[in-house]
Amino acid sequence: MVGNLDILAIAPEIALTAAVVVLLLVEVNFDPHPRVWGGIAGVGIVAATVLSVFQWVEWSGGSGELAFSGMITGDGFSAMAGMVVFPLAGLSLMSGWRLVTEMRRRGAEMVSLLLLAAAGAHLMAASANLIMLFIALEVFSISLYVLAGFTRSRADADEAALKYFLLGAFASAVFLYGVALLFAATGSLSIYGDPTIYEAGARGIIRADAGIAAFLDSTIILEPGLLLAGIALLIVGLGFKVTAAPFHVWSPDVYQGAPGGITGFLAASAKVAGFAALARVLTVALGANIADWAPAVAVIAAVSIVLGTLLALAQTDIKLMLAYSSVAHAGFILTSLVAGPAGVAGMWFYVATYAVSVVAAFGVAAIVSGHTMGRSPLSSYEGLARRSPFLAAVLGITMLSMAGIPLTTGFVGKLAVFTAAADAGYLWLVILALVASVAGLYFYLRVIVLMYFRPTSDDAITPRVDWSSGIALGIATLATVLIGVVPWWLLNLLNDALPF
Amino acid sequence: MVETVLFFIFGIAAIFGAISMVWARNPVYSALGLMLTMFSIAVFYVSNAGHFVAAVQVIVYAGAVMTLFLFVIMLIGVDKSESRKDDLRFQRPAAVGLLGLLIAGVLIAGSAAWTTGTRQPGADVNGTIENVGDMLFRRWLLPFEITALLLIVAAAGAIALAYFKPGDEEGDAA
Repeated sequence: MVGNLDILAIAPEIALTAAVVVLLLVEVNFDPHPRVWGGIAGVGIVAATVLSVFQWVEWSGGSGELAFSGMITGDGFSAMAGMVVFPLAGLSLMSGWRLVTEMRRRGAEMVSLLLLAAAGAHLMAASANLIMLFIALEVFSISLYVLAGFTRSRADADEAALKYFLLGAFASAVFLYGVALLFAATGSLSIYGDPTIYEAGARGIIRADAGIAAFLDSTIILEPGLLLAGIALLIVGLGFKVTAAPFHVWSPDVYQGAPGGITGFLAASAKVAGFAALARVLTVALGANIADWAPAVAVIAAVSIVLGTLLALAQTDIKLMLAYSSVAHAGFILTSLVAGPAGVAGMWFYVATYAVSVVAAFGVAAIVSGHTMGRSPLSSYEGLARRSPFLAAVLGITMLSMAGIPLTTGFVGKLAVFTAAADAGYLWLVILALVASVAGLYFYLRVIVLMYFRPTSDDAITPRVDWSSGIALGIATLATVLIGVVPWWLLNLLNDALPF
Repeated sequence: MVETVLFFIFGIAAIFGAISMVWARNPVYSALGLMLTMFSIAVFYVSNAGHFVAAVQVIVYAGAVMTLFLFVIMLIGVDKSESRKDDLRFQRPAAVGLLGLLIAGVLIAGSAAWTTGTRQPGADVNGTIENVGDMLFRRWLLPFEITALLLIVAAAGAIALAYFKPGDEEGDAA
């Protein structure tokens, strides 16, 4: 294993980066039709997805392996992250394609940043070292900051991007401070240790860097102040990314201000990448200290659920409503993590299916209120079912799924995370979450009532669905229903997607 | 002894620089305050045997990055001093209160003994160019390479944001 440069572990990143470089060079030299950008990006995304499937075949359910001196893992967890993130990037690109073409030549940069964000998201899930995780987090976040402020002609997009950037930079600094404190407390930055460096110890040759997990497993820390402070700061830094309350204040402004065509990706990828990183850091690196962090995570989950649901009730703009509901969903997903490794499969199911739903919901909002626009008041959805039955059906099914109605993925996801939390002994959290789910029915069903049972006003425009968004929305809706009806195969599959 | 004296001198200088960076109305003074902080941190690196890192800190941060900052300040115009008008009245007292809380927290945390896991630095721990290069291109190769992705993101993002001309965005945004 010495000098192990296992290329397969970073093969999806190589594919995406190659696609980005080719895309930028072709754009500069030949100024081609946007279709060419789409072709190159499509090849990159498909290649990355296929390579993730290869990773899955190679590593799923197994013991996993470390590559690049223990910087990155090859295991079912990272392969699953790729299999979720890359198709999600493809769906987002298709549903936001009109935005890309409306940006004229800057569209190439938009596609590139989306691909780089996807690469960063996968690296976050695969990182086995906290410095590696930080750099991946920055690649991912900085791409998103720029994407949020892409439409320069609107002041609220600039405001959204600036808020996202400043608060995000602050959260990254908090995360980095947490990494430093964790290093001070454990003497290692590596989660699994470095399999390539050995030194002479008292009992023969031992690993020079055994890793955080091994250190915490084998050491009783009598004065754990540094360790606890480090854990707290790590949770705060990653909690910001996944919009867990009280670190969610940026999300309503960003989701409402960012160009409509890209908002779905901002919301979905941040959840997938953030929760993947959080799950690996908490359940593997800090798995021995679950008694320390699980209560904190449970409280953050409870606050997110209550605050997100209550604030979503009061919104009159669908994007603000989705933003606050995403805070509540972050709470639901955190509910699974209090169970430790036992909740990771449930977390995957919830986060993957929620990401698909949220891409579809923001995709519909982008078509109804404009791809470059931010605001999307609920009144423009009145009677949408008569103007565009397809869009109304997509948004309706998405809302049912987010509300957790049976026969949609949202129901199965909630069932999975609540079961995990209840098994771990957090019954109070499950009861709270159930009550909040029922309250959440009000604002999800209100959208359906508006679309189907209200007359459409005479001057309302009929939204035009372009074919690429149509396909993307169709796939997302179909997946939401099909997986909701027969979820068992996916749940079984996800039992192999645990971090090793 | 020398190290303690140096620590206090440059620790105070670093904090003074940081405060003056935020406090100064004139952006040039802010930049100079930041430079003072960068220099003081370089001294800490030297006292921790990180000679190469200290040199890089001075050349890159106190040198190149600060020059860049000053260029940008000159381009934007030095005469624009920042408005101190505050829309949220409670903000400043709240900030002072939080600062007091932070200082109290640091003092309490600093006076207690906490278990650390760092091993004693051995004789080979020395921030020479060889050691840094060896670490960077062997163990830390992948993070080092991924920072290249960060540069692509920065370049593409800067072009995307700066290349905008009014009227560029068709359709409903105009």
